[in-house]
Amino acid sequence: MRLLIVEDNEELAELLAKGLRTAGYEADMLSTVEEARAVLGTTFYAALILDLGLPDGDGLALLRELRQRDNPIPVLVLTARGGVHDRVHGLRSGADDYLVKPFALEELVARLEAQLRRPGQLLGNSLRIANLQFDTQNRQTSIDDQPQVLSARETAVLELLMRSKGRVVSKKQVEDHIFGHSGEVASNAVEVYVHRLRKQLSERGARVQVHTIRGVGYLIAEEK
Amino acid sequence: MLRFKSIISRIVFLHVVAVVITSILMSVALSWLLNYATANIHNKAMQEQAQTVGEHLSIGADGRLELDLPSDLLGLYSQAYGRYSYAVIGERGEVLFSSLGDHQALFPADTRAGAIEFLQHRRGDATVSGASVRKTVGDRIVWIQAGEDLANRDVLIDDIVADFYKNVGWITLPILLVLLIIDIAIFRRALQPLREASEIAEGIGPARPGVRLPTGEIPREVRPLVSAVNQGLDRLEEGFRIQRDFTADAAHELRTPLSVLRTRIDILEDQEMRRALRQNVEGMAHIVSQLLDIAELDAFVVDAEEKADLRSVASEVAEFVAPLALAQGKDVALSGSPDPVWVKGNAEMLGRAIRNLAENAINHTAPGSTVEFVVDADGTVSVLDDGPGINDDERKLIFRRFWRRDRRKQGSTGLGLSIVQRIAELHSGSITVENRKPRGARFQLRLVRAA
Repeated sequence: MRLLIVEDNEELAELLAKGLRTAGYEADMLSTVEEARAVLGTTFYAALILDLGLPDGDGLALLRELRQRDNPIPVLVLTARGGVHDRVHGLRSGADDYLVKPFALEELVARLEAQLRRPGQLLGNSLRIANLQFDTQNRQTSIDDQPQVLSARETAVLELLMRSKGRVVSKKQVEDHIFGHSGEVASNAVEVYVHRLRKQLSERGARVQVHTIRGVGYLIAEEK
Repeated sequence: MLRFKSIISRIVFLHVVAVVITSILMSVALSWLLNYATANIHNKAMQEQAQTVGEHLSIGADGRLELDLPSDLLGLYSQAYGRYSYAVIGERGEVLFSSLGDHQALFPADTRAGAIEFLQHRRGDATVSGASVRKTVGDRIVWIQAGEDLANRDVLIDDIVADFYKNVGWITLPILLVLLIIDIAIFRRALQPLREASEIAEGIGPARPGVRLPTGEIPREVRPLVSAVNQGLDRLEEGFRIQRDFTADAAHELRTPLSVLRTRIDILEDQEMRRALRQNVEGMAHIVSQLLDIAELDAFVVDAEEKADLRSVASEVAEFVAPLALAQGKDVALSGSPDPVWVKGNAEMLGRAIRNLAENAINHTAPGSTVEFVVDADGTVSVLDDGPGINDDERKLIFRRFWRRDRRKQGSTGLGLSIVQRIAELHSGSITVENRKPRGARFQLRLVRAA
């Protein structure tokens, strides 16, 4: 899968390309808005990693242009600007995610994959944490490569948690995901399903833990 | 010296003074004009009377002058009526004819007198005013005097003069007052653009440094002031811009090399080396980030209009720090108001404050314990931990920049709580700390509720 890195610091661009290669991605590197504009017009990339402060202009301007032309390419913005208004400004300009330098390479890869796993994007169907695996295509859960049978709602909760690996999923998000916006949901319904899912996973030997962040939401992580 | 706060009151005052002065001057001028006009009418009438008397002068058969007045004129000059009188003076100043009882001249005879003269003379307790007209009858020159006793003057003319103020004069004052009211209205209208400019000026502040006063509608006389104010604002905005640019430039110059370093470490093969270097670079990045936050805070202004839902801000922070806490075997929880709690302020800034409190709490608690966020409907958010708490003598120190309890401890900059305090100040709020029983600290960030 090919990515485009637009970053004027060549050293950083090359290191990122190298790091991404070990994670299984090929990356092309450009350093100006002008070049990026030309190349994006003719070449297809799975995602764009865009630095904001470029020598011939602002990366956000390029981003707005892309969105105006309805180009849906996932864009991950890298920036040295960590100011109060910068993040909001970046996301409003059409960035899918926003990383302030310096960032961990793992974080970049994780955020990238979160974008690439969105419906309609390119990344494979398999989500994995430790020995737990979830195939988004046929919604099949496996532990140690052994297919498992979970209820529809347990599966829905697990899918949401695994798609947001490393991040907290709010209780509201889980509610919306399994019940939709229709009808009344019993206040403890989500807790009941999470509890059941946790029990199922532990009984079947999955080395993961579903954490409850009281008042906030849930998070799935590798068991310690 | 009288001092006036407003231009309108100054104008009203000056206008009242002008009205008073104008009223007095106008009265004097009008009464002078009126007196002048009545005197003119009187003089003209006297001159005509003298001429009429002259027409009846003739030279008789004996060569003497004769005066033959018709009966209506004789009535006019009768002693009984007593109002008008005449006299005819000869070349040597002798009185030839007189309507007066004692056969005297009305005015002292003057043979050098011109063709027409207007005279006034006191006779006993009466004052006679009239005209002297020179006339040639045959070969003789005479002066005919006609006069009126001022004590018996024409009542009509006297009435006009006397009643002038009662009937006409009072109108001038209201007219001048109406003029004053119209003037005030005109002036208020003329000042309208200034009032509008003032309203715009009220909205100018550090949060909106780009606003300028409009000069288009402003009267030319005031425009230099408005332009000068705008130029002053330009300079202030430039100052803000330079400070912001510095923060942005510093951020770029510091974060880019850190980013290169961080990525270079992330692709190292040697696991042990990678772990150690990562910890170092993360500590460095943390310090840089907090220093930049402080630099930004020093130039930051909270928009008075802005508001934030404290509950959702706290919730986002909890989501953000939960993975870090879990990685250290600690837990995070959020409780308190289930509904949005709107407070005045910038959501991103408030998030930073709560995040610093949270990170501080997580760093000071043992694995297995929980850091709790409590959002209250009165606009406060508390962060509770089970750590060692704060000694009384440290209570003030902990909010100082770069203060640390244990200087040997890694990963702490001593900036986090000073950032929280600065953000609280910017939001007209407060940050307080108290110890919990049996152990732990409770940091409370109190903000101003939004309407």
